[in-house]
Amino acid sequence: MVIGAGKRPGDVNPLVNPGERIMNPAARTGVTQDLSENIILTTVDDLYNWTRLSSLFPLLYGTACCFIEFAALLGSRFDFDRFGLAPRASPRQADLIIVAGTVTMKMAPALVRLYEQMPKPAYVIAMGACTITGGMFSADSPTALRGVDKIIPVDVYIPGCPPRPEAIFDAVIKLRKKIANESMQERGEFVSTHRFYTRSHEMKTVDPILTGKYLASNTREMPPKELMQAMGIPAEKASEAQLEGAKTKGAKVEGDNA
Amino acid sequence: MADKEKENAPEAAESAIVEPGEVSSWLTEQGFGHEVMEKDHSGVEILKVEPQFLLPFSTALYAYGFNYLRCQSAYDAGPGKELVSVYDLTKLTDDADAPTEVRIKVFLPRENPTVPSVYWIWKAADWQERECYDMFGINYEGHPNLKRLLMPEDWEGWPLRKDYISPDFYELQDAY
Repeated sequence: MVIGAGKRPGDVNPLVNPGERIMNPAARTGVTQDLSENIILTTVDDLYNWTRLSSLFPLLYGTACCFIEFAALLGSRFDFDRFGLAPRASPRQADLIIVAGTVTMKMAPALVRLYEQMPKPAYVIAMGACTITGGMFSADSPTALRGVDKIIPVDVYIPGCPPRPEAIFDAVIKLRKKIANESMQERGEFVSTHRFYTRSHEMKTVDPILTGKYLASNTREMPPKELMQAMGIPAEKASEAQLEGAKTKGAKVEGDNA
Repeated sequence: MADKEKENAPEAAESAIVEPGEVSSWLTEQGFGHEVMEKDHSGVEILKVEPQFLLPFSTALYAYGFNYLRCQSAYDAGPGKELVSVYDLTKLTDDADAPTEVRIKVFLPRENPTVPSVYWIWKAADWQERECYDMFGINYEGHPNLKRLLMPEDWEGWPLRKDYISPDFYELQDAY
């Protein structure tokens, strides 16, 4: 039988003399338990970092085969929702970009723009050989970027060609550790520092070639006059000649029908 | 292989070692001058045409039944040599079994590689001629939208030419 079981505090225990006290009562220790269940002692830094690292929103960004591996994470087999990663289609809502795939000179301005559109602090994971050094394109490609860290700051590099989904998990876990170590006091230098390298090229800016009038442009209605003269026959005649050619080809069929 | 074919071409024209095939014979009958090149490994006729005769030549082939431009491509015959624009044609019909194919090659001088566009005969040439323009700088006259397809719009130079030198951009330098 347990001494004092079922008794409320303040009840008189008949087994204890007045003035005596039980050193280790079997009843639950109310005050200590209530404190540990209801009060958290932490720092603002830890709390802030904990919320951020538990809800990393990666941008849906992929330019090559690496994204196939990254897309496998979205499914139930690898299930990266359990890390709190929810893919976002807009850079405004994302705070992590996993650069999956080769980045070319033509894509690079778009990538920088996406990164600059993300609310800071934003994190970058360079996934695969192409984003680290240019990978197999580093030999003689005229346009492949030799490492994405030349244009945006990279936090975690994942080697591989392409890396396994598990490797991306490893990178995410390492990134979470990095975020957990950050301090709000260092935030100032993070924002103000220009952390990536830019250089202006002496290339002249030209009008964008995509005008939205691709098939509707006037040039598609008829061949230019010079070309028609070069062909030696007007365009109408040419199309007639083509029709005749089609007729002679179909003559046998027509004969059969007749 | 490209060099070999090119070297064989004049020889073939002079000594007629290469037997002209069916398509070549028909074109000769109709008075469309061309050179016959050695057939490729699968027996497809290869015809060499002067650039100024490409359009009437192509129109004749279209009338003959080659209604499908399967592939249009280009290559650089070598440093200092010509640029070559290649057209793969097929006779496409219903239930075709091993349809007739023919390949046309146009050799263009490196200084001024200009050839009329076949877009107005085969619409499939649209993007493929743009790509050849983008990579080799071949000027397809009469193409409705001859602009760079793969490279950035403001890129300079023609990357797949043998004498192309990549620019020394910071982004393109080796990463260590």
